[in-house]
Amino acid sequence: MSDAKHEPQTARNAPIDPRLLEILVCPLTKGPLEYDRANNELISRKAGLAYPVRDGIPIMLPEEARQLED
Amino acid sequence: MNTAQHAFAAEQYGARARDYVTSAVHSAGGDLDQIEDAVRGRHDAHVLDLGCGGGHVSYRAAPHVARVVACDVTAAMLDAVAATAAERGLSNIAVRQAPAERLPFADGAFDIVLCRFTAHHWQNMEAGLREARRVLKPSCPALLIDTIAPADRVLDTHLQAVELLRDASHVRNYSAAELIAALSRSGFAVEGITVRKLRMEFPIWTARTRTPALHVDAIRSLQITAPAIVREHFAIDEDGSFDIEAATIVVRAV
Repeated sequence: MSDAKHEPQTARNAPIDPRLLEILVCPLTKGPLEYDRANNELISRKAGLAYPVRDGIPIMLPEEARQLED
Repeated sequence: MNTAQHAFAAEQYGARARDYVTSAVHSAGGDLDQIEDAVRGRHDAHVLDLGCGGGHVSYRAAPHVARVVACDVTAAMLDAVAATAAERGLSNIAVRQAPAERLPFADGAFDIVLCRFTAHHWQNMEAGLREARRVLKPSCPALLIDTIAPADRVLDTHLQAVELLRDASHVRNYSAAELIAALSRSGFAVEGITVRKLRMEFPIWTARTRTPALHVDAIRSLQITAPAIVREHFAIDEDGSFDIEAATIVVRAV
């Protein structure tokens, strides 16, 4: 993958390749996602959801996403 | 969109992900050669393997292209694909979990969409095809490969019945005509179709889906009591093995 300083993709909680974030959108709104590195989540502001990334795999299922407060 | 049904399909396949990586029916075939021909030399292409299952399309395509995104609704399948890709040194395969009907990709994100033996599992086949079209760049190619049902209603009903008994998450095998019509409505121009016969070896076919013994017996009963036209069409053997047709449909985004 692109970034040598990142751990391999198979490692638990591995961050995802930033180049692949460019093509990822929120499955509900088809709007942009922000990557929250600290929590390893993909944030859809428009949907108010945070999609988890588990073992380097973005779980793009609204039912698995965390509802954002506010 | 039905979350419970997606979870049901995911649960059916979660326990047996590795069986699909090693399955001979899934890991070989003229259709995979056709896929490889379609991607050969496309070094800059971004490819979507939609409903990747055991990942056989991704493994074939990855050496020829810039990147393959393998997408499936079943988490265990994705774990198996990520592990197998790593074992084979295919570092340009990335996995994403999502149902076909609601893809998390931008419009026109891909140069090629490949979709093999998966549409018959989708809750809404046409919604999945519309999403496939949306994420594909205009005038770019896609290949849809799936097992198909005969147009004849007697034969069709037999096939759907044995498929459901075998696999509780079976939704529907469509006829070639139904698939072509749905592709056309979803914004694809159909460029070609190749139909191949696949032999389903009964013990392997039912073991792969962990079909309960009661359902295995019911399938055998349906086969034995089926009219001659059904037994002949599917070339049903003494042990329950039979032929099924699979279509490779080459399309282009219009």
